[in-house]
Amino acid sequence: MTAAATISSAGRPRRLGRALPGAFWVLILLTPAFVSLASVSFYPIVNGLYLSLTNTSLITQDQEFTGFANYVQLWGDPQFWNAWWHTMWFTAASTMLETLIGLGMALILCEAFKGRGLVRAAMLVPWAMPTVVTSKMFGWLFDGQNGIINYILLHAGLIDQNVNWYGSTSTAMITIIIADVWKTTPFMALLLLTGLQTVPNSLIEAARMDGAKGWITFWHIRLPLLMPTLLIAGLFRALDAFRVFDLVYVLTGGGPADSTETLSTLSYKVLFSTLQFGYGSAVSTAMFITEGVIALVFVVYLVRQIRRAQ
Amino acid sequence: MTDMKKRPTADSKPVGHVTIADRRQFLIGSAGLLGAAAFGAGTSLGMGRARAQSRAEISFASAAFFGKETFGDLIKAFNESQDRVLVKNIELPPPSSSTEVYQGLVQQLARRNGTPDVFSQDVIWIAGFAAAGWALPLDEYFPADKRSAYFTGTLDACTYGGKLTALPWFMDSGMFYYRKDVLEKHGGKVPETWPDMATIAAAAQKAGDIDFGYLWQGKQAEVLVCDAVEIITSNNGAILAPDGKSSLINQKGAVEAIQFLHDTIATTKISPQDVLSWDEEPSRQPFTSGKAMFMRNWSYVYPIAQDPKASQVVDKVGVAPLPSFPGGKSSACLGGYQLGVNANSKQREAAIELLTWLSSTETQHRIALNFGLAPTRPALFQDEQIKKEQPFMASLENVFTGATARPKTPQYAKVTLALQSGISKALVSGKVQAEMDALADQITKIVA
Repeated sequence: MTAAATISSAGRPRRLGRALPGAFWVLILLTPAFVSLASVSFYPIVNGLYLSLTNTSLITQDQEFTGFANYVQLWGDPQFWNAWWHTMWFTAASTMLETLIGLGMALILCEAFKGRGLVRAAMLVPWAMPTVVTSKMFGWLFDGQNGIINYILLHAGLIDQNVNWYGSTSTAMITIIIADVWKTTPFMALLLLTGLQTVPNSLIEAARMDGAKGWITFWHIRLPLLMPTLLIAGLFRALDAFRVFDLVYVLTGGGPADSTETLSTLSYKVLFSTLQFGYGSAVSTAMFITEGVIALVFVVYLVRQIRRAQ
Repeated sequence: MTDMKKRPTADSKPVGHVTIADRRQFLIGSAGLLGAAAFGAGTSLGMGRARAQSRAEISFASAAFFGKETFGDLIKAFNESQDRVLVKNIELPPPSSSTEVYQGLVQQLARRNGTPDVFSQDVIWIAGFAAAGWALPLDEYFPADKRSAYFTGTLDACTYGGKLTALPWFMDSGMFYYRKDVLEKHGGKVPETWPDMATIAAAAQKAGDIDFGYLWQGKQAEVLVCDAVEIITSNNGAILAPDGKSSLINQKGAVEAIQFLHDTIATTKISPQDVLSWDEEPSRQPFTSGKAMFMRNWSYVYPIAQDPKASQVVDKVGVAPLPSFPGGKSSACLGGYQLGVNANSKQREAAIELLTWLSSTETQHRIALNFGLAPTRPALFQDEQIKKEQPFMASLENVFTGATARPKTPQYAKVTLALQSGISKALVSGKVQAEMDALADQITKIVA
């Protein structure tokens, strides 16, 4: 606005400036961005919310406003809660493991050693792979009959017969978590590495001068300074993990006995197999709300961290 | 919303009207063309244009199958074979993406604007399309005498609420694969009952002749429903009551059948635990690499088993109808695509003409030879050319005779998800009766 004012005092654009006040210009210039965001992001969300309040189904051709009937049904739907718990368990376990292993990897990659550039690049390979490829690969690795994991464990004497990783309710989810950890840990490592590089070297050198051992340096200097990055990376990862779809879809289809059903696969089935857009949107909205709550927890914690640092 | 509900009634009259008008136009057109044909001047450019104008234009939508030709070629052949109807081919995704094909069809049919006029549909969608009023009942066009030329199981799957709403096109079904060489050592007779099969399989496994006695598909997926339909029907059980309003899956016949499947893993141990996570391909691989004696699968396995590059059991594989329980009848889950006419088609006569042509003996013959898709007319299995070029297909007549439809309900999409989940739970936990009771409640709630 001040810029507009200066220009108008300069003379020529004065008339224009008078005709169109500065605020108007701002609005005009923001319109394209607003329209595109509204059409691809805001409208679908609102429409999804609206659909979740109707009984829309492509098959029965119903499309009536039913208020919160879908949510009442959702509340009493054991399939939904089953998928909800699996999704929460998957999100918590994979985010936790990925953060821990990623931190370890970041600490190693932060040190100077020969061929560090190459290792850093190689580390990213799993993350660069399409998830469907990863899924197929883990499908073979953990295959119950010919899988190399069974072969190694059997020959190492750790198991006495082949484990049916994807066909047993006790191992199917764990196997999917392992696949996800393998794939996404590099992403965490990368984020945490950038965080570690912002820790001033002078602090670490000073600590070393005072005789602090590696562990102490990490615990009292690096980790506290890394905390905001850690939380943001964890938030990204948790929100991403919550949407897990491809691994489950390719490896188990939600089975056996619904033991790997997640909210994404459930909403896909409800929306696109049974074409119940109303109820399916309610499932998606429930996902949206849960994700919002997860994000809120992280953000509250993050804000508290930052305040404490100040 | 309200206008959507009104539309069918508002539309029904104009549709009938248009059809009559069309029929008249079509008669005038064909009379003119007859004259032209008498002239023998059909090749001239001017005449060609006149002909194109008088042709009824309709559309045909189908999942894209490939073979020595495509369905596009088939439609082209139809367009060239006559000069009354001109068909536009709408290609949907391949059958492997059947969820997408389904969505595509539903979206088009739900518009009720008459496009596509003719379509092909997976057997499990027929009831849903019929209940939604999208599929034209075909009874008046195909009276009983014309229907007798098709397999009864396929006709049954094409019938909803007592009306024929689809016309059989091509089919597949579950079948029983066995290893001739291993069976030779253990009696040599193909087992006709499930208990016999289990006994022979266990003996062969015990003798060390084979790793796995029997392979089937227990993954929580559509194929599990197929396996279940077969074994339940073969024990005189059923998933839905005859009126389709309640579930019988917790009755004795069905529970025994599912118990048998559970026992193959837990008690008789003729199936590896892995079948619980296997669909078609993972179960096919051990069989064609020579590790298994018996297997339930679709017809696609046979060509692979006979391919020396992919199989170690070339010429050692036989195919038979699936076993049944004592007192039951062998049953094979029906698959394949069947034809339907859009109830809102504005060119009904032309649509019926295309439908009749596509399902005719000649076209089914061509599809069998060029696409390798099995005909739904039993008579074609005696055809010399099919016997020569597709000997395996020709041998399947007795397998297809037992073809059984999956539960016929407009709510099939919901019912199948419940079945997949419930049966998978029963197989994993072994608490068959309890899980079937819960499943029956759930299904009854969906279909009631």
